[in-house]
Amino acid sequence: MLELCEEAVAAALGAGASYADARVVVRRSQVVGTRNRRVERLDDSETQGIGVRVLVDGAWGFAGERQLDANGAQEAARKAVAFAKAAPGGHVRALALVEPARGEFRTVVDRDPFSLPVAEKVELCLRAEEALQHEDVKVTSASVRAQREHKLFVSSDGASTEQEIVECGGGVDALAARDGVTQIRSHPSAHGGSSAQAGWEFVEQLGLEREAPRVGEQAAALLRADQCPCGITTVVIDAEQTGLQVHESIGHPTELDRVYGTEAAYAGTSFVKADDLGSLRYGSERMNITADSTTPGGLGSFAFDDEGVPAGREPIVREGILSGFLTSRETAARIGSGSGGSMRADSWSRMPLVRMTNLHLEPGQGSLDELIAGVDEGVFLQTNKSWSIDDKRLNFQFGTQIAWEIKGGKLGRMLRDATYTGQTPVFWGSLDAVAGPEEWTLHGLTNCGKGQPGQHAHVSHGASPARFRNVQVGFRQ
Amino acid sequence: MSALDLAEQALRSADGDEALVVVQSERSGLARFAGSEVHQPTLVENDVVELQIVRDGRLGIASANRTDEEGLGVLAARASEAADAAPENPDFPGLAPAAEPPAVEGYDEEAAALGAEDQARLAAAAIEASELELYGFFTSGLTELALASTTGLSVSQATTDVAVLALAAVDGASGYAEQTSWRAADVDPAGAASAAVEKAKLTRGAVELEPGSYPAVLEPPAFAELLAYFSYDAFSAQGLLEERSYAFDKVGTKVFDERFSLADDALDPRGFPKAFDFEGTPKERVALVENGVLSGVVWDRATAKRAGRETTGNAPPSSLRHWGPLTFALSVAGGEADTPAQLAETLGDGIYVTRLHYLSIVDPREGIVTGMTRDGTFRIRGGRVADPLVNLRFTVSVPQLLAELPGLTREPVLINQNAYYDERYPTGLLSPAVATARFDVTGVGSGPGV
Repeated sequence: MLELCEEAVAAALGAGASYADARVVVRRSQVVGTRNRRVERLDDSETQGIGVRVLVDGAWGFAGERQLDANGAQEAARKAVAFAKAAPGGHVRALALVEPARGEFRTVVDRDPFSLPVAEKVELCLRAEEALQHEDVKVTSASVRAQREHKLFVSSDGASTEQEIVECGGGVDALAARDGVTQIRSHPSAHGGSSAQAGWEFVEQLGLEREAPRVGEQAAALLRADQCPCGITTVVIDAEQTGLQVHESIGHPTELDRVYGTEAAYAGTSFVKADDLGSLRYGSERMNITADSTTPGGLGSFAFDDEGVPAGREPIVREGILSGFLTSRETAARIGSGSGGSMRADSWSRMPLVRMTNLHLEPGQGSLDELIAGVDEGVFLQTNKSWSIDDKRLNFQFGTQIAWEIKGGKLGRMLRDATYTGQTPVFWGSLDAVAGPEEWTLHGLTNCGKGQPGQHAHVSHGASPARFRNVQVGFRQ
Repeated sequence: MSALDLAEQALRSADGDEALVVVQSERSGLARFAGSEVHQPTLVENDVVELQIVRDGRLGIASANRTDEEGLGVLAARASEAADAAPENPDFPGLAPAAEPPAVEGYDEEAAALGAEDQARLAAAAIEASELELYGFFTSGLTELALASTTGLSVSQATTDVAVLALAAVDGASGYAEQTSWRAADVDPAGAASAAVEKAKLTRGAVELEPGSYPAVLEPPAFAELLAYFSYDAFSAQGLLEERSYAFDKVGTKVFDERFSLADDALDPRGFPKAFDFEGTPKERVALVENGVLSGVVWDRATAKRAGRETTGNAPPSSLRHWGPLTFALSVAGGEADTPAQLAETLGDGIYVTRLHYLSIVDPREGIVTGMTRDGTFRIRGGRVADPLVNLRFTVSVPQLLAELPGLTREPVLINQNAYYDERYPTGLLSPAVATARFDVTGVGSGPGV
């Protein structure tokens, strides 16, 4: 199918494009979900097509066609050029120079998830659900997913790449209800569980069945737990929620297309400005953030992004100072730094956007227990429940499924309905400890929305539990 | 080949089984712009075939966009494997029987004929009408939904949708406007851009506001988004049956202001009319709130069977089945005010909200939702829209917000609910502007502008 990409690129150049690239994508996804011990989802979907992106006199054009043949490739190229010509740009769009990428990449997989019988996946979900049962638990659910994406890319700059990326994931949830109160617990994380770029071995390692009894019991116990008190206090946040905090308050604001306003109407812009590079104090000296599209198992790992730029590892924040952006070839050229490497599209029918790859909070030192031991009074927050942040990524409010009181350096009573809020640089400025590498875990999420038309990116975040001082907890006075 | 022909063809590939085929076809273009330049234009042509095979009460689903004979054969094999893998489900309601869907509007020749050049031209019309930098998009699409089943179902509906979103913005100022319809003639990109510019001019010099509870006027985009988030869960039978949603134990109870009436009405030509749902059940108007009384929720075949009642025709696409039945056509009854400004007069003092951003459900049982305001937040002083405010963090109990509504505007406006993820399926919410006695501000965020 590389030939189809080449044909599309040639057709686009022939129609007047100064630059063109073409992506053929064939993606198969499988979701098995059970709810209250009944199969709720047993879906197997496949989508394929070609997306052609062109530059004509400084204007982008993009068109997607599902027909994977010469006609489809040429038609997509023709339409993309016609669209670009109909909507001329106001300035020249330069692309950062990159060595034309040529190569192949395949996810290392121990167990191919698509060779596993579907019935086995159903049985795993039902067993895990059975282990979630508790008299106060009204809704139990379990799900597993697998995806294989075969992607070929050719650009008029000479890039020619082929990649096959496999993802697997899963999770369980227990929702308890009594006397007008509902509470939920999840494992390994909320909102569909966690995924990784790996084979079925990743799902087996999640321990869905093993962890389910704890999940069910905690959901029920939360019904009787005290509400988390409001006030300004010290919080210790688990690795999963810390990862989401990284995602929302560091990842998105450092996407350089947002900084330049291209997401203004929908996802928003950024409080970070392009000329803040190297000078903006983002947080405390303990804050080190790295974008790494080479992380083993990361959902944002690849050999080449959707512009054919090789994967790499870039510092975004070093010792609290902004030191990098997530970029495309276009935005990298505009800022005069780097060469892109963060462009991804969620399907053949969507234009690539600057997306997070894998964005990590680098570990500090010590254990979670040591972090907690350093707190006289505070709360330990676990597992995301709600999330919201403003259009410039300054004011945020997150809720967690469960919290624990910390008194005298030890965990105390269970607390429910915990939320915390803050302003991004102030919050990260209050970071005073990050646990060490032994506590560092990778969490993969598949629901990062951006773009119009909308696209979902799959992203991983590595983090250790982290401690923040003087944080506003709660909104109910 | 039409979507229905494709559905019938795919049905034949499931020879010997009880089966349902759902086809979604899309021909669309979206000219997205930023800084008054088109920067992300996207043209899509796609046909997705979903095959649901039922064997002894066991359901397997597969979908693909390969529609040749070989592709449909692979599809049938995958759906079969899935069905065979599923344990028998005693709650499975069976496939919907054949039924005659109602005649509805929702298709416009002019909108269907819009091509890439037109989409670019209409985006340019918005850009040229804006004296400030403009961000947003113009889009139009022709979509077709077709269902065919072994129960004799054979229905299809072609729909069109057109929308413009305009954010006029510079450093320190931004204003928002949108228009959407299934008719091309209803959407005026230049008009939307001009409205956004006028709003933006009022937002310069925004100041902070002390957190607290304020009376507020919510323009239709703001109220529609808040209501949609609340409704996904509150008005779905699934949450009711699982004893976890706001509606649980409240059906038949007066819980909202008597001025508030809400329906899910896919037949209303002011919205995006639909003739049937994703199970093939004919659409009907479903009363959800009548004069403040929570009167019902929406049902699909699975939830209806569990409760021993009838579906209301609110089955979502199978990819959203885990949400249960969904309200895709909410419609709020209008009130007596002519304009949002009249609502501000009614309140005297309070805040005025144009648009919301990044909502999240904090507590579904209590209907607590958090989010931010943006692109046009103001103080109301002396009954007039006054000084601009920075974006506000709100954390509201939607039932409390709906408990006292001093007024609503007369004519609901169609607010686009489509972010164009995955397969295109036009949905909107008919909403007036509302005045509420209570809008809980819990923090302040960034200022207006880009």
